[in-house]
Amino acid sequence: MEGQVALLLAVSLLVLGLGTLLSRRNVIWKLLGLNVASGGAALFLVAVGHRPQAVPPILGWGPGPAADPLPQALILTAIVIHFATLALSLVYVIFLTEHLHTQDVPKLERGEDE
Amino acid sequence: MKWAAWLVAMILGGLLAWTSWGLFPRPALPPWQEATAYWGARNAVAAIVLGARLYDTLFEVLVFAMAMVGVRLALRPLPKRRARPPVIESPLLERAADVLVPAIGVFGVYLAASGHLAPGGGFPAGAIVGTGLLLVALARGIRALAQEFPQPILSQLEYGGLAALLILGGGSLALGWRGGWLLTLANMLILIKVSTGAWTVLEHFAAHRGEV
Repeated sequence: MEGQVALLLAVSLLVLGLGTLLSRRNVIWKLLGLNVASGGAALFLVAVGHRPQAVPPILGWGPGPAADPLPQALILTAIVIHFATLALSLVYVIFLTEHLHTQDVPKLERGEDE
Repeated sequence: MKWAAWLVAMILGGLLAWTSWGLFPRPALPPWQEATAYWGARNAVAAIVLGARLYDTLFEVLVFAMAMVGVRLALRPLPKRRARPPVIESPLLERAADVLVPAIGVFGVYLAASGHLAPGGGFPAGAIVGTGLLLVALARGIRALAQEFPQPILSQLEYGGLAALLILGGGSLALGWRGGWLLTLANMLILIKVSTGAWTVLEHFAAHRGEV
């Protein structure tokens, strides 16, 4: 049951992030929406690793089934990559703002100065 | 137009929830205890990240290093902002940083060193140490901190850590090294890599966009 609840939470985070990504016109808001959506993806994979009454997958941590360690290992690296790519894309937003003085996507596409 | 975007997002989310509902209940795990012990770990996540899927981790660390190089290079042509007059911070924040930062540092190193035995590992430890640096930067001002960590030494540490990690990973992949010592060393190197990368981002953003 907890698995399904976490899955619904993950999907709602994805919808929130994707909706922000599509509806906002500001580049920084778009990046924030993308980051929220990637948090939803992380939660989705962790929810897939869930087992009822599971213990952490560590030797000697009591009886009972263990949670699936593979999605957790995947997420561990993915979170750091989210951080690195968000930093890099914010650098390019700084660059755009310095040169075109706008963060509005339609204006950026026309190459317009504000 | 905005409602259409939200509608598309909701339809996609609904489809995802509907199709992934059948994932539950999940099947039982195959026996993972032997595989974890084979890599010299007790934490199965550490055994996967630094053992069975080491290629994945090595290239992930390379992607992280490339992104940090990108941050450095792309911000170089931009003008450095002049320091704004320092914000008067509350003495509470400074005292709290004095008390908390050593504990945060020790906890980060502990998590990295015991990451193959207990919950932890190099990546969360690096994030914790980076957050501790952010706390010091908020309390003392980032320029004071940047003078204590000169950029050349920091980048030598970062690239040295990366090279050592690649040697360690290559030895594990080609020569079959494995065991607790390898996991501990690799976790410590990942701690160095991630925390220096986080500090690089913080310092460059603050230098080019004004004080934290």
